[in-house]
Amino acid sequence: MHLGHAPYYPERMLWDIFCKVIDNHGDIGVCWRLAAELARRGERARLWVDAPAALAWMAPQGQAGVEVRAWTAGSTAEVVPGDVVVEAFGCEPGEAFAAAIARRTRERGRQPAWINLEYLSAEPWVERCHGLPSPVMAGPAKGLVKRFFYPGFTPRTGGLIRERDFDARQAAFDRTAWLRARGLPDAGERLVSLFCYEPPALPRLLAQLAAGDAPTRLLVTAGRAQAAVQAALADSSGPAAGLEGRLAISYLPLLTQTDYDHLLWACDLNFVRGEDSLVRALWAGRPFVWQIYPQHDDAHHAKLRAFLDWLRAPASLRAFHEGWNGIAPGLPAAEPATWAAVAQDARQRLRAQPELVEQLGRTALESQ
Amino acid sequence: MKIAQEIRAGNVIMNAGAPWVVLKTEYARGGRNAATVRMKLKSLLSNQGTEIVFKADDKMDQIVLDKKDCTYSYFADPMYVWMDGEYNQYEVEAENMGDALNYLEDGMSAEVVFYEGKAISVELPTSVEREITWTEPAVKGDTSGKVLKPAKIATGFEIGVPIFVAQGDKVEIDTRTGEYRRRV
Repeated sequence: MHLGHAPYYPERMLWDIFCKVIDNHGDIGVCWRLAAELARRGERARLWVDAPAALAWMAPQGQAGVEVRAWTAGSTAEVVPGDVVVEAFGCEPGEAFAAAIARRTRERGRQPAWINLEYLSAEPWVERCHGLPSPVMAGPAKGLVKRFFYPGFTPRTGGLIRERDFDARQAAFDRTAWLRARGLPDAGERLVSLFCYEPPALPRLLAQLAAGDAPTRLLVTAGRAQAAVQAALADSSGPAAGLEGRLAISYLPLLTQTDYDHLLWACDLNFVRGEDSLVRALWAGRPFVWQIYPQHDDAHHAKLRAFLDWLRAPASLRAFHEGWNGIAPGLPAAEPATWAAVAQDARQRLRAQPELVEQLGRTALESQ
Repeated sequence: MKIAQEIRAGNVIMNAGAPWVVLKTEYARGGRNAATVRMKLKSLLSNQGTEIVFKADDKMDQIVLDKKDCTYSYFADPMYVWMDGEYNQYEVEAENMGDALNYLEDGMSAEVVFYEGKAISVELPTSVEREITWTEPAVKGDTSGKVLKPAKIATGFEIGVPIFVAQGDKVEIDTRTGEYRRRV
C-alpha cells in the first residue's frame, strides 16, 4: 500500500495517541506531527496530552481531524477507545483506559491496534525489536497484545515522519522573503541555526564562529539555547567572553513547527537536539550537528556512535560531534562544506525508504 | 510476579495461556532511561518458536518449576548432558540451551529446569568468571572502564571489555546482559 493512492486506508480510523510531556517539547512535537499528518491523510486523531500548552505556539493553526484532549486523572473515563491506540515513548494510557480497550475487544470481537511508539535510535537492536508483539501480562487488559513500533533509519525499521507535502513546501521556500519577514538581514552572511541544551563546548563554538573567515549570523532558538548562549557570553572567564569579530547573534521567538523547517532550510549549518529536530534536519538536507539527549549512565554515547555510523560521517564530523556532546574535550573546526555531501546522501537514503506514517498505518491495520 | 528485566534464559513464562521457555533475552536501552527486553521463546506444548518484546518494567507471571543444581558433563549431539550431585544425568536439547552456550565449559554449574519431569532448559547464575582468550593488547591510561574493545572467551562468545583488559585476564560477565562487570 502506498500513500500516492487515495484513500490511504480502506476505512477511516480513529486514533487515540497518548503523550506525556517529560521535559522540553520533543514528545509533544513528535505526537502532534504524527496526529496532524494522520488527519491530513484522512484519519481522525484524539491527541491525549498531559501538558498541551506548547501546542499554542508550536501548532497554533491546529489541524482539522485532530482533537486535542487534556490527559488528566479520570479524563479518559467513559471514553470508548478508537481503532488504534498509540502509546508514545512508553507512556501507558492507564488502567481505566486499558480496561476500556479490553471491554471494546470483548464487545466487537476484535482488539484495537495497540502500538507502543518507541524512541528513535540507530542501534542495531532496533531492527530486531521493530514490529514485535508484546503480550499484556497483567492488569485489566491481560491477554491482549501490543506491538512495538520503532522509528529508524533503515528499511527494517519504522522510518521517519515525512509529510506528503514536504517536497512541495521546500521547493516553494523563498529564503530571502522568509528572512525579511522575520526581520533578519540578508547580507550574504553565513547563517547558522542553534537549537541545543547546554553543550559544554558552546563557548568554544561561539569563539570559533567569531574568529572565522566569513561573517556568520547565529540564529538562536528561544528557550534553553538562548539561555545557554547568554550564559556563555556572560561568563567573563570563558572563551566567548567579550566576543568580537565576525559573529552576529539574533535571538528568535518561539517558532511553529512549520517555521522551524523554514529556519533549517534557510541556514548553511544547523545545530539540532533531541529527536524531532534531528529528523527535520535530515529532511532539510543541510549540514547539521546533533546534540543527543544525555542519559545519566552515558547510554547516549553508543546511540550517537550508531547514528554517526549510519550517517557515514567522516572523521571531522565524528570528532565535532564528540566535542559538541561532551564526549571528547575541545571542539575541532566545523567543516560544513565537507559535511554537506553527507547530509545529502543521508536524505537520499531515507527518501528511498517508506516513511513512518505509512508504515504505522499498515501496522495498525495488521494488528486489529 | 516478576518484571521483564528479571526474566532470564531458562525461565518459563505464561503467554496466551501456555507455558513458554525463554531461550534468549536481549536488554536494550531506549531513550530517556527507558529500556526494553526482547525474548526468544519456545512453546513447551507445541515446540513452536516466537519472539516478543516488553518494556523492562512490564509485570509478568513466571511459572515456578522444579530445578536442580547440576554440572555440565558432555555433549551428545544434539543433547547437552548435565549431571546432579547423585550422578543422575539429564539431557537438554541444544536449542533449549539458550545463552548457556555462550559460557559453556566442562564442569560448569547451573540449574537444570524441569517441566512435567522433563529437563527443558538451563538457568545460569547471574554472573560467571571466564578467561579472555582473545583481545587487542591492553592499553594503560583509561581506567574509567567506559571505553570498550572487543574480546572473546573460550566459546568464541564476544563481549566488550575495557581497554586495560589483556588476553589471559579473568573477567566477571553478567549473563543477563552479556556485559563485562569487572576484572577478577
